[in-house]
Amino acid sequence: MALNYFVIGYYALLIGASCMTAHYNMRGAFLALFSLTLASFVMGIIGGEPALWSVTVGAGVIALCAGTAFAFREFLSIILPHEGAKAMRSAPLTASFGLFVIGTYAIAGIFAPIIAPFGEAEVIAQAFEPANEEMLLGADQLGRDLFSRLVYGARNTVGLALVATIAAFVMGALAGLLAATVGGWFDQFMGRFADVIMSIPSLIFALLMLSIFGTNLFVLVIIVAIIYSPRVFRLTRAVAGNIVVMDYIEAAKLRGEGLWYLIRREILPNSTAPLIAEFGLEFCFVFLLVAGLSFLGLGIQPPTADWGSMVRENATLISFGEITPLIPAGAIALLTVSVNFVVDWMLYRSSGLKE
Amino acid sequence: MSDVVSIVLKRLGLGLITLFVISVIIFLAVEMLPGDIAQAVLGQGATEENVAALRKQLGLDQPAPIRYLDWLAGAVVGDFGVSLVTQSPVGEVIGPRFANTLFLACYAAAIAVPVAIILGVIVALLRNTLFDRVANVMALTSISSPEFFLGYVLILYLSVKTGMFPSIAKLSPDMTFFELLNRTFLPALTMVLVVVAHMMRMTRAAIINLLSSPYIEMARLKGVPAWRVIIKHALPNAWAPIINVVALNLAYLITGVVLVEVVFVYPGIGQLLVDSVTKRDFTVVQACCLIFAATFILLNLAADVLAIITNPRLRYKK
Repeated sequence: MALNYFVIGYYALLIGASCMTAHYNMRGAFLALFSLTLASFVMGIIGGEPALWSVTVGAGVIALCAGTAFAFREFLSIILPHEGAKAMRSAPLTASFGLFVIGTYAIAGIFAPIIAPFGEAEVIAQAFEPANEEMLLGADQLGRDLFSRLVYGARNTVGLALVATIAAFVMGALAGLLAATVGGWFDQFMGRFADVIMSIPSLIFALLMLSIFGTNLFVLVIIVAIIYSPRVFRLTRAVAGNIVVMDYIEAAKLRGEGLWYLIRREILPNSTAPLIAEFGLEFCFVFLLVAGLSFLGLGIQPPTADWGSMVRENATLISFGEITPLIPAGAIALLTVSVNFVVDWMLYRSSGLKE
Repeated sequence: MSDVVSIVLKRLGLGLITLFVISVIIFLAVEMLPGDIAQAVLGQGATEENVAALRKQLGLDQPAPIRYLDWLAGAVVGDFGVSLVTQSPVGEVIGPRFANTLFLACYAAAIAVPVAIILGVIVALLRNTLFDRVANVMALTSISSPEFFLGYVLILYLSVKTGMFPSIAKLSPDMTFFELLNRTFLPALTMVLVVVAHMMRMTRAAIINLLSSPYIEMARLKGVPAWRVIIKHALPNAWAPIINVVALNLAYLITGVVLVEVVFVYPGIGQLLVDSVTKRDFTVVQACCLIFAATFILLNLAADVLAIITNPRLRYKK
């Protein structure tokens, strides 16, 4: 390993930072930094300078994410009204990073035609042309602009997953609320029905149904909704089951209120917190399933831009050491991670897992 | 003991009923085809005679309940009928592929289970430290990534850039066992990454839950050393949740294997299922789905039964 300025600076910075943290009694940070230093020795000997570079780049990316998350948290806690600001101030950085990413994707999806420089099916270059001034990320296997397709993908893939999640949620929550309020044989029947659906692996069930009904978007949404509604059903039923036995429900029943009124005005407002967190989790599952099906060529059909099928179409590039197919796959992963971060924070807040 | 036996028997019975219902669903799903299989295979332009001939050949002239019983009786002994596309017996096509898939799943499980449990226990003991938080973020990241993302990242960095492992998991019968392990390392590692994260988080939750119970606090207060608290007091009660976690995640492997096999072109049953769905080869789809669903249910069943058996509170008569 050549002893140049980069390597010397690298170790000087790490050791200096370790000493600083040790001096100020920050045990966790010191342990992390110093073990990174020791690990760098080993990696530097095995991988040479490139290994140290990748550590530096990785640390830089993490620092950039943390910085963005910190700034975004401050921004939100200033512009939000009192309640929201209070919640934001205590939020971990991961949660505000998640909110930032979700916001970015939402903007990309809503304003896709304005942001994307080209249309999603517009052929503008040779196949697999590398990136240039016009095309930020190069061209795909038919010569379409990859960046534009990525932006449109935010609209198509996320939109489809969102619609399917909402469908699953409405079905599951309605059935759960009904089962909790009506009870009796209806409750039993729905419970066993949910058990059966949950005992088939979701991807396998989806493949079976798609092989029979063919691949079109309407069928896809219905199938995904049926597969994931039992989870919502169970949660809603459990939450609503605890509320139904309350005195105020009894009072409302004695007042002569109808079933629909009970569900809408008495039960639903008191069970929103766990349901919102469940919505986030559910979205992650649905999104991964839809992306997986598209990757297998059974989801959104071309030429519509969609992240799952973009990975499959560009997969051959991976054997030439190009990261192109990783970009749409990474976009999927980033969104799921972000939603998970936010859900984690919400669960932590609502469940009192504050040991 | 009779308590445990009756609970286990009840659970087994429930599992068998579920299995039966699933087989009916898989059978009926194909019945729901617009028209029937013969019509769907031959397409709109087929003549009446051709459709009728295929119907007779597939036994579609029999009523549905009889065909279901025939199919089920065959399936139990591994005879799933004839593929609609290649005309070869489905059982023969599936057999070796199913063995490959099982091998991959076992390989992944053999790495994932010990790693996940050890990590989960460590993270639970070091909870709310920096290490715990970093591990939590990494676990969430790996759970949230689609399997094909992890797979391609591994291919890019461990195969294309450094050439440490082969990226395509082609198998041939004359390979040595070590060669086989090397060939299938990347697909196994992909599944390990996903499953370890799940298992670690669940183990952590189970252990933390346990460590906050009063009898652990009692043991600590009377001065038992930390390691003895874990081994003598916590672990016997932790087995049930840990076994549950392991079995649930092995069941999860069964689904994850489909995408991983496609990424690495691994000759397993998941790849076959996806191919058959695109070709609309219903008998193969039915067979694959039945095998996947049955494995999934059996693993869940095993989890429940083991959890009942290892529960120390059920072992003694009240």
